[in-house]
Amino acid sequence: MKSKHIKWIGFAVLLITVAAIIVVNIIMSGRPDQAMLKGYLGGEKIGIFEDEEIGNYIKKTYGLTLNYQKAGSYDMMSLDHSKVNYLFPASQSAFEYYKTLHGKTPKNDIIYNTPLVIYSRTKIVEALQKEGIVFERNGVFYLYMDKLADLMLEGKTWADVGLPELYGSVLVDTTDPASSNSGNMFAALLANTINGGNPVNQSDLATVVPKMQTIYSKYGFMETSSADMFNQFLKKGPGANPLVAAYENQLLEFAVNEPKIWEAIKDDIVIIYPIPTMWSSHVYIALDEVGERGMRALADPKVQELSWLKHGFRAGAKSAQETGRFNVAGVAPEISAVTQMPTETVLNQLIARIR
Amino acid sequence: MSAKVLKKGEMMRRSVSIFLAILLILGGLILVGCDLFGDNGGDSGSHRKVNFTTGSGPLLSIVSGSENKELEPILSKYTAKNKVKIEVTYLGSLDIMNMLRTGSVPYDALWPASSMWLTMGDKKRILKHTSSISNTPIVFGITESKARELNLNRDDVKLRDIIDVIERGKLSFAMTSATQSNSGASSYLAFLTALAGEGEVLQDADLDDPQLVEEIKTLLAGVNRSSGSSNWLVDLFLEGNYDAMVNYEALVISANEKLRAAGRETLVAIYPKDAISLADSPLAFVSGSGREDKEKLFLDLQNYLLEESTQREIVATGRRDAYGRIYADQKEVFTRWGIDTERILAPITMPRAETVERALNLYQTSFKKPGYTVYVLDYSGSMIGAGRTQMLNGLAELLLENRARQHLLQGTPKDRSYFISFNSGIIDTFAAMGNSSELENAYNRLRKIDAGGGTDMYIALSAALDIFEKDRNELSKYQPAIVVLTDGVSATSWKQEFFDAYEATGLDIPIFSITYGSADASQLEDLAQLSRARVFDGRKDLTAAFKSVKGYN
Repeated sequence: MKSKHIKWIGFAVLLITVAAIIVVNIIMSGRPDQAMLKGYLGGEKIGIFEDEEIGNYIKKTYGLTLNYQKAGSYDMMSLDHSKVNYLFPASQSAFEYYKTLHGKTPKNDIIYNTPLVIYSRTKIVEALQKEGIVFERNGVFYLYMDKLADLMLEGKTWADVGLPELYGSVLVDTTDPASSNSGNMFAALLANTINGGNPVNQSDLATVVPKMQTIYSKYGFMETSSADMFNQFLKKGPGANPLVAAYENQLLEFAVNEPKIWEAIKDDIVIIYPIPTMWSSHVYIALDEVGERGMRALADPKVQELSWLKHGFRAGAKSAQETGRFNVAGVAPEISAVTQMPTETVLNQLIARIR
Repeated sequence: MSAKVLKKGEMMRRSVSIFLAILLILGGLILVGCDLFGDNGGDSGSHRKVNFTTGSGPLLSIVSGSENKELEPILSKYTAKNKVKIEVTYLGSLDIMNMLRTGSVPYDALWPASSMWLTMGDKKRILKHTSSISNTPIVFGITESKARELNLNRDDVKLRDIIDVIERGKLSFAMTSATQSNSGASSYLAFLTALAGEGEVLQDADLDDPQLVEEIKTLLAGVNRSSGSSNWLVDLFLEGNYDAMVNYEALVISANEKLRAAGRETLVAIYPKDAISLADSPLAFVSGSGREDKEKLFLDLQNYLLEESTQREIVATGRRDAYGRIYADQKEVFTRWGIDTERILAPITMPRAETVERALNLYQTSFKKPGYTVYVLDYSGSMIGAGRTQMLNGLAELLLENRARQHLLQGTPKDRSYFISFNSGIIDTFAAMGNSSELENAYNRLRKIDAGGGTDMYIALSAALDIFEKDRNELSKYQPAIVVLTDGVSATSWKQEFFDAYEATGLDIPIFSITYGSADASQLEDLAQLSRARVFDGRKDLTAAFKSVKGYN
């Protein structure tokens, strides 16, 4: 009799288990396979990956939960990739670096574009306008890179341009060019400028490198993330970072997401477009199947639209965008004066010599 | 059928035992992990030394610089409203950096004084949501009369002016240790930068320039008291009659509030134009899988701290807000002490990370004032066994060069150390001059001493005083300290004599003590009060206590 009881209990356990499996299967069948999308992300794109609206849409439509670890565009290429589905640096050169490092070309796509810009403060911009380095057209501020490069090469101090209350030499603060993309791009832009406005070639290095070294010896501690650099520009005040190289999208995103703070500080913050500038093309690198699904999700028109309106990333490099929706003065509708990055080999040699 | 059921039962048992085995292994790993971690500078999870707890509910643990102690009421208000619990452990910014470097951080959030340490420490990329909560510059706080006498109470003071008065013996100041605390480290790096040439960035080669080395030594010779914590420096200032300290503007303001309340002379904040540094107080989340609940707790707190009403409360404590601003109606918090709120704070450019590290090492091994330390060690009967072993383990971290270097606690070649072992009388006294094999020999000698007998630390302390008395004329070149470790209640027949003798010397020698076992904390507190020093609790983690005490010297 006892063994019969046990038999029934055993049967019941089996039955419940089978029922549970069936129920779970039914619930799951209506939805895409759920997966966690893990990877290394450039700090400037964190806002998108933290955006609830974008996150919910991608979860619903693509079955992916967005996850990331912040890393510099170049740093991430040599980190451990065994547990991640994607890499999402801020430039094509970083992807070139990946290919050299790993000897393979995984699936990839340019998901976003944003120009490199310079941020500053009203008082500093006024001083630079007097020096003829910055000018204004149709409410947009532009900066002549060649004139700025001359000033830096001559070792001019802030006091020399009429701002004795600022510390040290005229410099554009950037992230570490050896580890983060925005700093890397600014170094390339400056090198091109010193090279007479042409992308630096192997044969130009001999003349360009010593001049770049003169300028870069004045840099000290450098941040390794574009997001941290931009935050410090806003937070530490004009005395700490008079000029900062960063991405256009960073300010647009800040203005949308922190409207109250932006309202309080916006009169003093100026966005300046260097002539020429460079595009930061954010290449998404898919490392596996889940990563590829993530690529499709991010390229989805709905995600692209939200990324511009809420985070300031331009979809295409060519087309003009509607800029009036941002509460930010002086956003250029189109970016026309653009220079190309030197090749990855040349750039690496340049960076290695200046840091 | 019944056989099958039995088998099923067996499988069940097996899986239960496998499950238990996994738990055991996991538990073991966690235990081992904690111990390993304990060696790496931070307080580990199991014996995490929590300094401040508020609220009840789900827990968010924070490791923070001591300067945030002043924000405790703001945290308490938050936890009361939101039914959460916050635990804060105070630790120097450099220790926080070292902990971060290991990649295993037994806290949910980090809140050091400056983001530089997070950038330098986050090699494993584990931080998220880093955001500055407030800003404050590091300044010289100098008593009004002294500043006037030395003509330093003006807008265009440069570091050179301060070095000049130090050189002429007109000014000495208290400052935290550059290898333990952000305010010490940042100001030390700012000093070096100013000495390397105005407007320049400190380069590696500058650190080898004999003139710069001479000048930084002169400047640091002006340090009369050191400390491991910025907040404690204020306490020290309030207890003694000192002229100046290097500290955060916010803590100078808070010291002034207390000085005025006590009817004492207040401090003016001096901003040497060529040597300003800023502390941006970043609060960052320690990410990791399965930490979504903690992440939400963290973000809620961070958002609260950045809300305008909270930011106003933070500004009321003498800090500038997260955007470096002072609200128009709160300017008085600053102007009350003569601080010009319109001044643009133009901090120096910090050197490259490699140069920072080399500079900090040189501070510890060469540039700082040499230490003159007398260790007074309890070898009474109650120390037999575990007590003696743990004391020696703690000493090993300071005295063995390789270990001390890991904590940036190694001394200079000019250091003088004395060791007095005692029970009811003095067992042994000997000296070690230097920072290398001399200390290792001392350690080996201490290992040979057996414990036994009664406890009378006052006799040993009197002997320590005699040692300083003998070198009285040279003491200004050293950073003097007595470090006492005891685990019992001392006989007191010589207590009064010792107190009288200490007062009679007129020397400013802090008597730091470490409690162990059933030590009488009140006896040690009396010593701390007498000498304006501090008692460290070694009952939970004796090694950590030894490290902390050394950080004050």
